[in-house]
Amino acid sequence: MGDSNRGDDFIPAGLAALGIEADEIELAVMTAAQAMFWPPILELFDFDASAARPEPRPDLSRAPAR
Amino acid sequence: MSGAETALDRPLRDQAAVIAAGELDAGELLEATLDRIAERNPTLNAVVETFPQRSREMLASAPAGPLHGVPVVIKDEWPLPWRAQRFGAAEMLAATPPQPGESGPYRALRDAGAVIVGVGNMHELGSGSTGNVSYYGPARNPWDPERCPGGSSSGPAAAVAARMVAGAVGADGVGSIRYPAAYCGLTGLKPTFGRAAMAGHHMAEYSTMIVSGPLCVDAADARLLGSVLCDEELTRGEPRGLRIGVVRDLVSEDVEAPVRASCAKALGLICAATDSELVEIELPDLETSALAAVLIANSEGMAGLSPARLNRLDPELSPLGRGLLKFRMLLPAAASVKAAQVRALFRQRVAALFDEVDLIAWPTVPAVAPPLQAPLVELPSGTTTADQANVRGGALANLTGIPAISLPVGHSEGLPVGLQLQAAWGADALLLDVAEALEGANGRRKVDARPPLALDSGQPAEA
Repeated sequence: MGDSNRGDDFIPAGLAALGIEADEIELAVMTAAQAMFWPPILELFDFDASAARPEPRPDLSRAPAR
Repeated sequence: MSGAETALDRPLRDQAAVIAAGELDAGELLEATLDRIAERNPTLNAVVETFPQRSREMLASAPAGPLHGVPVVIKDEWPLPWRAQRFGAAEMLAATPPQPGESGPYRALRDAGAVIVGVGNMHELGSGSTGNVSYYGPARNPWDPERCPGGSSSGPAAAVAARMVAGAVGADGVGSIRYPAAYCGLTGLKPTFGRAAMAGHHMAEYSTMIVSGPLCVDAADARLLGSVLCDEELTRGEPRGLRIGVVRDLVSEDVEAPVRASCAKALGLICAATDSELVEIELPDLETSALAAVLIANSEGMAGLSPARLNRLDPELSPLGRGLLKFRMLLPAAASVKAAQVRALFRQRVAALFDEVDLIAWPTVPAVAPPLQAPLVELPSGTTTADQANVRGGALANLTGIPAISLPVGHSEGLPVGLQLQAAWGADALLLDVAEALEGANGRRKVDARPPLALDSGQPAEA
């Protein structure tokens, strides 16, 4: 299934599940956003970040603890 | 031309100095600033509101301070005692409705003696790098009003570039000070996370990305205004023998050729001026880090969202804004968790890199300001949206918390080019030191260049 088809199914289904209404223009925006974001999000799930030490509450003002 | 009118074209620090020395009446400077905004703003839509009486009252009660009597603009992202922020939008969707009040940046400016003379336009909901979408209509780039000024701090940048004011306060959640600095030919500092005043921002309690920061003509002014916002001196030093990290990646190579050339030339000048060297470094997976930053920023912006709220959005929100707000609700929570893991990984990678180098450098944005009507850029890899292209280079500093700065380093097609430098946590002043070294090395030609509408007769547009 292509990305655009995924969006055709996923976006209306997701909106319906949440009870969110959308007009045609908003749907077109969401479909474009889905085409742009979904492939890298799917890749993100497979990204190996296991080398990172857990930093559950990072202090962004400082370097991470060594 | 009166003394006040002449002073309008001088740096922030010079304005402060002549007022402090009694050589210029601050009231005259305020009135001249308001006149200049009235004259130049209709072309640019950079300043969305002035409040002359409030400004006069602020001046009347201004304490002695480093910015006593100096007019500044503040982005539409913080409340003022007489005005709630709009966040560039018909509806902000904040967790609590915005109210007028004393924000951190307001207090910092007031206590330094500055006079807030206007509110700067911004990209709607802070969600774009171009500034072409706003409740107030797009802000325009002073170098070419048909081009984007950059976002989301579009108005503050355009106002300074057009010399309406010498300094403005912006906010940077994913590059939002540095992108407009690059597009408008300014010096824009994103301080280390948590260092600059943020109180009163509607996301101050839960954003791990956004900081306030200065947009000015040059580094000395950014140091002055940045010190005020940080409530501590960003002390000047003499940088020598630095190791400047450069990466061979899309962020530095999928870039318009003139942008790449201007940045390379500037880095050469910095190295020569500071006896420094370029060091090739590895920082893989930058695209993944940018996605992680976008996901975190989006999730932190959802505190005020609910299906019921999304079903009664103000119809004056842009169609793009409405669609993207609703799309945010569909983002999987697992992606946000993974983004947090990526953040930890990149904080550790960047910390390790700063054991090897003092700075990391790449172009702030890969192409000059795109057209307002179609913010697309042509890169070696093909045509893409400016937002997609810009986030590659802008996101790392927000994801990790490190400080970053954009410096004007050249022009292409008559539009400014920006170089970004990033430093370790807390090394904000080093960025300003290096910026000043570059200004000295190139004879200030880049920082003193003015767009056509801000020129005195006979002055070259591009020095």
